[in-house]
Amino acid sequence: MRDTPLSLAERIGWGALGLAALLGTWTLLTSSGLVPRPFLPSPGDVLGRMIELMSAPFAGATLPQHLASSFQRYAYGVLLAALIGVPLGLLMGWFRWLDDIVTPLFDALRFIAPIAWVPFAALWFGTGIGGPVLIIFAGAFPPCLINAYRGARFVEPRLIEAARMLGTGNLRTILEILLPAATPSIVAGLRVAAGLGWQSLVGAELIVAAAGVGFMMVQAQANVATPTVMAGMVAIGIVGMLIDIALRQGEAWLRRRRGLEA
Amino acid sequence: MGSIRFDKVDKVFGPRTGGVKALDSIDLEIAEKEFVAIVGPSGCGKTTCLRMVAGFEAPSAGVVSVNGKPVTAPGPDRAVVFQQFALFPWKTVRENIDLGLRNKGLAKPERDERIAGALKLMNLESHADAFPHQLSGGMQQRVAIARAYVLDPEVLLMDEPFGALDAQTRVVMQEELVRLARVNPRTVLFITHAVEEAVYLADRVAVMTRRPGRIKEILDIRSVREAENWDRHQKIEDVMDLESFVHLRTHIWKSLREEKGAHGV
Amino acid sequence: MIGRRGLAGLTSVAAALLLWFVVTTLTGLVSPGRFPSPAEFWQSLVQIATRGYAGAPLLSHAVQSLKLVLFGFAVAVATGVPLGLWMGWSRRAEAAINPVFLLIRPIPPLAWIPLAILWLGLGDAAKIMVIWFAAFVPSVINAFAGVRAIDRPMIEAARMLGTPRWRLVREVIAPAASPMIFTGLRLSLQASWTTLVAAELVGALLGIGFVLNVAQQDIYPGMILVGMVTVGLLGWATTWLLAMAEQRALAWNMAARD
Repeated sequence: MRDTPLSLAERIGWGALGLAALLGTWTLLTSSGLVPRPFLPSPGDVLGRMIELMSAPFAGATLPQHLASSFQRYAYGVLLAALIGVPLGLLMGWFRWLDDIVTPLFDALRFIAPIAWVPFAALWFGTGIGGPVLIIFAGAFPPCLINAYRGARFVEPRLIEAARMLGTGNLRTILEILLPAATPSIVAGLRVAAGLGWQSLVGAELIVAAAGVGFMMVQAQANVATPTVMAGMVAIGIVGMLIDIALRQGEAWLRRRRGLEA
Repeated sequence: MGSIRFDKVDKVFGPRTGGVKALDSIDLEIAEKEFVAIVGPSGCGKTTCLRMVAGFEAPSAGVVSVNGKPVTAPGPDRAVVFQQFALFPWKTVRENIDLGLRNKGLAKPERDERIAGALKLMNLESHADAFPHQLSGGMQQRVAIARAYVLDPEVLLMDEPFGALDAQTRVVMQEELVRLARVNPRTVLFITHAVEEAVYLADRVAVMTRRPGRIKEILDIRSVREAENWDRHQKIEDVMDLESFVHLRTHIWKSLREEKGAHGV
Repeated sequence: MIGRRGLAGLTSVAAALLLWFVVTTLTGLVSPGRFPSPAEFWQSLVQIATRGYAGAPLLSHAVQSLKLVLFGFAVAVATGVPLGLWMGWSRRAEAAINPVFLLIRPIPPLAWIPLAILWLGLGDAAKIMVIWFAAFVPSVINAFAGVRAIDRPMIEAARMLGTPRWRLVREVIAPAASPMIFTGLRLSLQASWTTLVAAELVGALLGIGFVLNVAQQDIYPGMILVGMVTVGLLGWATTWLLAMAEQRALAWNMAARD
């Protein structure tokens, strides 16, 4: 079946081959003239443009400035989602009546893609910061809520029984039993929320922003400035990856501290 | 204080009609400070009996009462030691033991004093600030017992507490429990499927039938133990060699075997 | 018959609807410029369903969006699942393809929209391309994970019985990985809808996203709400269909779960 695991050297070798194939095909397509330059800039073009954008402004600001704007809204949206979603999820996991009330409403709204809130966001906030924050919130909120809820609901029953046996009151149970028990789930949810939030951000900025990387890309597209568009994509990808790595590290650190990993 | 009483208790799981009848008309009286063990085949409902005294389940018919009052909810007056320990993995040993005391509203100095006593009693002093996952199974169960003991409960409910431990640790824990029970007795309801454990530890042993569980018979161990002075032997293996011990054990084995044999399992 | 939970659910929804009515029509707390009242919602719905809006009736818009989602989803799944299975099966394939994946993955699917428009214009092709990017990744990842999670002994037993490669894939590997594959499908469908709506919002001439866009520019909250509700309903319907397919395909798994 699955061939035996590869050695590190073999892995690197095959990986390099794959990457080379990708980059090679790309460069070949552009330099051979098969695909016109405005259509598909070469890897070199894109890299060069990225470096240029670090200092030369486009659509009102340099790349780092756009990224900063984007990140700010992103942070607000995700934080808001976490601050509301996690406690609500925990409470829903503990108080069955709250679950019964909120879940149907949540289920009803669940199928509306966060991006569909853009028109209302535009209507209510114009191109202000509220618009993207709303959409990021819409994207990041469900995982925060669901994971906190699941974490609390599915705590090992014995632990709840032990807590009850020890005479633990509601508030203390939520803070000292449910919350720690649900933490792995909550953190996993935050990671997903961060990812979804970043994606929602891009979508929002494509439509309702006056700054930010998404906005920059839309302006570039309108001006057929393909290298700038692709530079924006790369920048977004890199930041998204960094965010994910940072959160994974945080997750691992937390697990070590809690003693769930040696 | 700390008497337990089962009064014509039935327990049906699932719908009223067509559900599984786990217990059938259980009558049992446990006097205060008495150590009673319930043995029986798997699924006979012995754990359910304990859970009703603990307040995790309610009887479908009949009454389960402690000190004459029916049980309505769990609480620290009926402390439970679970088979799977049920320690809080994110709390240290000390913090695990502390929770019940904090719920009682005790002041820090008193809590610290009680915890120190419990740690000493269960030989956990050097592990006070460790996390459960750093301890062996036997140590974790000691923490669970300490957590229960520190509440000074009238009733101690132990649900196959040594079931998850290896054989050697099990023996050590049994000897420790006997030591504790003699020195600081309280009402204990002890569930196990290990007959020797029951005979070694208990004052009386109740044998249950196969499901639906009924009390088949109750043996008085204490009178035999005192008459034959089992306590003169420190080691379990010496006690288990005694003729009086073997006699009781074999009697219960036979009784249990009838339960299995009658239904071909 | 409905049960306590169902009743509580209906009550919640009913209460929310009532609140909507009160806040908009009755008290005017929320002005019509910001959020439509139930009456305005209804009027907009009637308008687009009968006379049409943004160039076509509701049905045409819905069909357009649905068409693109289903097509994009199908293509993504048809390419993603086999690739994932292959990567799960062959360590070499995984080693070669994974780095490429790691490069492409962090780029949010929606970020491909401007590029797609540059390459393919405002037509269907651009939307399908972006949907493909979005829905492709979860399918691959979950198919891959599904294969990796298969018990070794199962494969060994199949080989011992002399199962040829193609039969092994079709009758052993694919079924064994199918629970995870379906998880991937669910995620792919979600991604498809999100991407489609976004793509239509940015540049389209037909479709629900386009309706949303025009309604926003016309400052027509009633129609915006109609668009959102339609998206929600279509999303729910397609998810339900997928769930039915999943239940059918995984019937063996459900039984084993009891």
